[in-house]
Amino acid sequence: MAENTDKMVIDGVELTGIWKEFLPSRILYEDVTTEFLDEVKKLPGGSTIVRCYQCGTCSGGCTLPDFVDKFNPRRFIDLVRRGHYDILVNENKDLVWKCVSCQRCTHRCPRGVNTQEVVRAIAKFLEDRKVFGKLTNDEAFDEIFMEEVIEDGRIDEVKIVKDFYSKTGRLKEMMSADQLSLGFKMLTSGRIKLFGGKIKDWKKVSQRLKEELQ
Amino acid sequence: MKTVLVIGGGVTGLKAASELAGMGYNVSLVEKEDYLGGQVAKHKYYKLAPDLRLAGDVLDPVIKAVESNPNIKVQKHSQIIAVSGGAPEFKAKIKNSKGESEETFGAIVVATGFGHFDPTVKQEYGYGRFKDVVTNAEVEEMLNPNGPTKGELKRPSDGNIPKKIAIFQCVGSRDRQVGNPYCCRVGCVVSTKQAIEIKEKYPDSEVYVYYMDMRMFGRGWEELYGKAMEDYEVIFTRGRGAEVTLKNQQLSLRAEETIMDRPIQHSVDMIILAAGMSAGEGTIDAAKVLGIKQNDYGFLSPKDDFLSPNESSKPGIFIAGADKGPMDIENCIVEGAAVAAKVAGSLKN
Repeated sequence: MAENTDKMVIDGVELTGIWKEFLPSRILYEDVTTEFLDEVKKLPGGSTIVRCYQCGTCSGGCTLPDFVDKFNPRRFIDLVRRGHYDILVNENKDLVWKCVSCQRCTHRCPRGVNTQEVVRAIAKFLEDRKVFGKLTNDEAFDEIFMEEVIEDGRIDEVKIVKDFYSKTGRLKEMMSADQLSLGFKMLTSGRIKLFGGKIKDWKKVSQRLKEELQ
Repeated sequence: MKTVLVIGGGVTGLKAASELAGMGYNVSLVEKEDYLGGQVAKHKYYKLAPDLRLAGDVLDPVIKAVESNPNIKVQKHSQIIAVSGGAPEFKAKIKNSKGESEETFGAIVVATGFGHFDPTVKQEYGYGRFKDVVTNAEVEEMLNPNGPTKGELKRPSDGNIPKKIAIFQCVGSRDRQVGNPYCCRVGCVVSTKQAIEIKEKYPDSEVYVYYMDMRMFGRGWEELYGKAMEDYEVIFTRGRGAEVTLKNQQLSLRAEETIMDRPIQHSVDMIILAAGMSAGEGTIDAAKVLGIKQNDYGFLSPKDDFLSPNESSKPGIFIAGADKGPMDIENCIVEGAAVAAKVAGSLKN
């Protein structure tokens, strides 16, 4: 017989009885932790997460479930609040990104939760924890785009394409005949320039932005 | 001038007595304990929801209005043991330490109030077995600076301040098992208030509330619920507490997080049972002595719930406050004033 670790002995009397030995309890998790809630709350847009009272107005009116099965903002919020980190990562890490920011949930929330921003903050929280592994093309592009905006204050098409291909390890693809001829056409028709212009005094703004995003 | 007998010196009885005296009637207030204020005084209620104002701020003026009024004769430590006659002339036998006496009254107001539900019946919660499982009334006493712990929330077992506290809602309410299928009407707000008080006093502590529904229907209650979530980070879990056991010498509760369909086991330092309201002993006794109708749960039944809410099944006997069913202090005071008007009207005829 397995050792019973849950024996409840009071004044020398075992009260729980033997039934616990052959009736395993259906405990799916133990304890609640607010560790993750505290983290999400501090992220930009995440502060209103504490207001949620789980009514389901957000998920009920959400645009996405028709297209993305199981997309459920209420659930994301609850998982974070109650510290179900494993479920959040295993079942929802690819879902939280699908929000299209239509803002229906935000406008309808009876508790004034900025749901879209909170979902975004949860995505950011997961990103910070590096749960996504290899970057997808979208994410890589997002990242380069933001880097470039912060660095130069504008987008240089040639540079962004080059960085994108190198980041996703596909520089060879960029040098294919197709891509090169397309690039040449765009260059001659004036769609892109080899050297993008500079924004005056952007360095200071860039510095400030970086500080803010730290 | 006829005298009115008010049975019960809680907020309702006090308010009814002072209102009637203000209208010029002589009032005889009979209280079985040796203090006025009923359950509020007995359990040293500290702060009142939703404004978190001191209970004394409300109770003291009501008591003072009674004690300072020469038209009111307060008889503490007294009980009504028999009543004969009918409207408009009742003969009541009053028993106290000195003996028995008989007095004549024109009308009787029953304001005998409620009793706190005794959670020992709910064996699975371990009240009485585990020292650190306490009731909300006991917490009220602890939080009061004049209480047994001088305002500190301490674990009864070792006197330490608990870090993780769970509150179980609906203990002895909405529960056919114990014969109380009704809602206690105040448990939700009292628990929320206590959670806020605990978080205010001990910001490091964690407070978890296990509820079925948060029924915040009173003035400012829903806002208080929001405040508890937003400003004090009280964790509300939808799911009724199922059982309490000991695990590694620590209290361990089991419940289901119904929103997520997940059973949960949670180790805490202290569990507060939000015990509901049941008909008080005084109410049951009064119903017996006066022969007035009770409902299925022992509370007093009005003649007509809508049209004559303060009249009992017998003419000349009036009922008010928490002896009619669970009620908060705010409404008890309203009831006290309402019954006074009704009594005055009936005595005029």
